[in-house]
Amino acid sequence: MSTLNIGGSQLDASWFLLLSAILFVLGAVGVLVRRNPLVILISIELMLNAANLVLVAFSRQLVNIEGQLFALMSMTVAAAEAVVGLAILVDIFRTRDAEDIDDLSEMHG
Amino acid sequence: MSNQTLALLILLFPAAGAILLAGRGWRLPRIFTVIVGPGVVWASFVATLALLLAKASGDFTYWTWIKSGTFEVPFNLLIDNLSIFMCLVITGVGGLIVTYSVGYMEHEDDPSYARFFCYMDVFIFSMLLLVLAGNFVFLIVGWAMVGLSSYLLIGFWYQRHSAVVAARKAFVMNVIGDVGMILGTFVLFMTYQQATFQGVFGRLNGCPRGVGQLCLLPFTSGDTFNLELVGFLFLVGAVAKSAQLPLHTWLPDAMEGPTPVSALIHAATMVTAGVYLVGRMHPIFDVATYAHNAVAIIGAITALFAATIAIVQVDIKRVLAYSTMSQIGYMFLAVGIGAYTAGFFHLLSHAFFKALLFMAAGNVIHAMHDEQDMRKYGGLWNQMRPTAITFLVGSLSLVGVIPFVGFFSKEQILGLAFSKPDDNMVHVLWGVGFATALITGFYTGRMWWLSFWGKPSPQRPVEHPHAPRLVMMVPVAILAILATVGGFIQTTAIGIGPSTVTDFLASAVGSQRWEGGGAEIAVTFLTMILAAGLFAWALYSRPWSAYAPWAQRLLERKYYFDEIYDWAFARPTDWVAGFALRDIERPVIDAAVVDTGLLARAGAGGLSLTQSGYFRNYVLVFVGGAVVAAVILIVRANS
Repeated sequence: MSTLNIGGSQLDASWFLLLSAILFVLGAVGVLVRRNPLVILISIELMLNAANLVLVAFSRQLVNIEGQLFALMSMTVAAAEAVVGLAILVDIFRTRDAEDIDDLSEMHG
Repeated sequence: MSNQTLALLILLFPAAGAILLAGRGWRLPRIFTVIVGPGVVWASFVATLALLLAKASGDFTYWTWIKSGTFEVPFNLLIDNLSIFMCLVITGVGGLIVTYSVGYMEHEDDPSYARFFCYMDVFIFSMLLLVLAGNFVFLIVGWAMVGLSSYLLIGFWYQRHSAVVAARKAFVMNVIGDVGMILGTFVLFMTYQQATFQGVFGRLNGCPRGVGQLCLLPFTSGDTFNLELVGFLFLVGAVAKSAQLPLHTWLPDAMEGPTPVSALIHAATMVTAGVYLVGRMHPIFDVATYAHNAVAIIGAITALFAATIAIVQVDIKRVLAYSTMSQIGYMFLAVGIGAYTAGFFHLLSHAFFKALLFMAAGNVIHAMHDEQDMRKYGGLWNQMRPTAITFLVGSLSLVGVIPFVGFFSKEQILGLAFSKPDDNMVHVLWGVGFATALITGFYTGRMWWLSFWGKPSPQRPVEHPHAPRLVMMVPVAILAILATVGGFIQTTAIGIGPSTVTDFLASAVGSQRWEGGGAEIAVTFLTMILAAGLFAWALYSRPWSAYAPWAQRLLERKYYFDEIYDWAFARPTDWVAGFALRDIERPVIDAAVVDTGLLARAGAGGLSLTQSGYFRNYVLVFVGGAVVAAVILIVRANS
């Protein structure tokens, strides 16, 4: 794997992958263990951005603009998803006092 | 108006009447029902008369009803002298009976009153369709519809359990006949690829006069076999509809219906449909000799069988029902030996005198507040003189006393059976018919003397019976006149005079191919004198059964036919059904269905445990799955 020239310094692409993996795991663990719905949404954003990082890194390394374009689109989708998620949350908070996502378990079998 | 339109109008009048009465009848004043109910029948009668006067004949096709490949069923009406003859009987005698019903049913409330006339008009329509149909499909439609209207009218008083059971019995028995008709038509269609009468008969050897004009195919032995099969299958239909052995048990029970129904359906018209069928199918029966002989044998046996049962019945309508079976047996005997016109003459004469007997009996029953047991009448000769006289006319006609119409028709059948050449069987048949004629004299005498002579029975429900209303008396009187003088239209039984019916029908069914002689005429008078003697003797012979109580019991139980059918069919069916329910339905089918449900429910219960409703559970499963998938991919990429 070749190196990337970032701001004059040469960095191995695997560093970006590593950072992305750390961010992704942080996000996933956040989704799993946190109970506040807002924090869960933030963690999801973290995971999405970890994925964006991978896309951009590979785009630079492979000299292919598509990866960066895809990252832009991913951000758009993330924004839309955040809007919908926040709207749902606002609605839930209006009807009930649910700070713990485990309270929202009426749909169990 | 063209003949084609007239023929359709015959059908349309009663249909329109039935629809009017079904839709609006019970909401309008009763006078509406009184006018429409009988009126449409008389309108049909007028249309039939117009056809008769126009000497109409032909096969009128109105439209194509079904067309599928080579299978084609037109809606066509066959107008020939036979169908006009039957229409005259149906609308003429039927009109009198429906008019009579105006008085007989007066105690019904308005909705039932309209319902009754609606059913009557449905029946008239169905019966007319049966006799006018120009193809086998519409024949079957009419055949099934008269069965339906018979069912509706027998069960008219549906609050009475016995009436409902009797209606059901009649329907089931008739459906057995319908199946025979349908199967017979299938065989005919498979043999000739034709569904119309003209199409089929045109393919038969020896074209029937007046019906088919084409004689294309000569016979092969396979054809003869198929025609025998068709003959026997149609015979099943005829036997069921005409209450002949062994499908006769429904007719006595059908007397649960109102008396005009018994007169119209179970005496004058519907039960004679079997005779019409054999006459209409005569090109088939002329070839299918075994089936043809079977018609005569069944007729003769039924005639004797029913007459013996009539000796011991005490219900006046049941006596008449058994005598109807017996008289139709004569008609079957006649058409079975090939004397078609004699059979149809007896059909006409029977329609006169049996409708007369039923309606006169209806007057008595009406006056006796629905009591039908003859032993509780007695002495009505002085109190109901007009009805008693008309009943006597009908009785003498039934016995076959000169000059009443029954003499000329019945004795002609016996004479023709006696003198048919080149046939060993006919003398046996004649013997049976002769014995039946004597028994007819006896049971008719018993009925008349018991009901009208002697002293009033102490059990009589009404001390001073009221006279029947004019609307009930006039049709009875007209029929009494017809039963008295009607015989003179055909006096061939005594060797001289006109033969109107034979001449009229010869173009449709052909006249019998032999002539009677002096011996036949002697036999005719001998039968009449003996039967009349027995009629008179019946007055003094009541305690005959004391000498033979076993015979009395055998006859009262109607030869145990109901019991035998119960043991042979009803109970095995019950047993099989019970077995299927107990040992197949519940343990196998039910259990399989229930167990499938239980299994699904248990599985769903297990699976629903995974649906905790907790968001993090789902995420954990999702992430775990992703990790597992990633591990698998990495392992496979590195190996």
